[in-house]
Amino acid sequence: MKEANSRLSALVDGLTDWGIEQFVYVPSSHAAPVIRKLEANGVKSVMANREEEAVGIAGGLALTGVKVAMVMQDNGFGNALTALATFAQSYHTGFPIFANTRGGLGEYNAMIHSISESSPELLKKLGIRVENLGISDSVEVWRSSTEAVSKLAVIQRRPIVTLFESLHPGMETIK
Amino acid sequence: MKRIDALKVLDEVFGSDPLVITCGATAREMASLSRKKTHLPLLDSMGLTTPVGLGIALGHSGRVGVIDGDGSLLMGFSILPTLKAYAPKNLIVVVLDNGQHASADGMFSQANVVDIAGAAKGLGLWVAECDSAEAMKSHIESRNNADAVSLIFVKIETGNTPNIPFYLADPAKLGADFKEALAG
Repeated sequence: MKEANSRLSALVDGLTDWGIEQFVYVPSSHAAPVIRKLEANGVKSVMANREEEAVGIAGGLALTGVKVAMVMQDNGFGNALTALATFAQSYHTGFPIFANTRGGLGEYNAMIHSISESSPELLKKLGIRVENLGISDSVEVWRSSTEAVSKLAVIQRRPIVTLFESLHPGMETIK
Repeated sequence: MKRIDALKVLDEVFGSDPLVITCGATAREMASLSRKKTHLPLLDSMGLTTPVGLGIALGHSGRVGVIDGDGSLLMGFSILPTLKAYAPKNLIVVVLDNGQHASADGMFSQANVVDIAGAAKGLGLWVAECDSAEAMKSHIESRNNADAVSLIFVKIETGNTPNIPFYLADPAKLGADFKEALAG
């Protein structure tokens, strides 16, 4: 089981600071440390089979007033775009989405960059705000930005995506 | 049974409980009959009705209804195992099955060649099947104290009710009204 490094732990801490009550996720090896740690902290979770399904469930929860976040990989945004635009965005459901990036340094998959590198532009084209957390950002920034973006999504009644750099094989010693 | 007749009964049976309604002609026909703040019609989100209903049922303590269609459910069929896994007992999903994508020029739905209710049963979900308004109402009422999520597959006639106007509501207002209604 993958454990969260200090930055991924800070992301979980930021969600805790916000008061997260529930999260919806799509399985991901790179986001697994975040998912495992949230579950270990007792936050209720729902595992969805596809990203658009996750958007529907998370948006439904948000409409009930639950503080809900979504956790996924950026290569899944292709699946999620219509649901994000026609439901989450259009119905003013406010919830944060945290997606680990793929296709960067250390990537082992030959084609995943073909969707991952385009994801930020695709999201921006839909009018979805995109924030970034990188490995050069401090632990404190990861924590405070996570809390702030979660609050902002609820206040602005729209989904806001945070793309966070995960650690690829060979880079896992970065603290 | 025509879809609009099924919708009249569903509007009455679910009363002031939250009700998520699939897009296209179903949402339009319901809006022509009844508009409530507790109604959440999804105006253009094929395949998302039941996932949204699941999310609402997980966050809401009372009964939650979903009106889906066979075509819409097939577009997001992966929700069925998720329903089984999380199984909120307060959720009742009614699938109006006309065997077609009636809002897409009446195109054939694969519900004609596969038994979607049988597939749901195979996943271990509680399933009822019927083709009359009375039986549909009776199944819904029998599930008020259910111990698991309920799926009721209702065979309806093909086609749409003629001369129903487009439903041009602002989805932001629909979302805000719905949220306010849930908050009481």
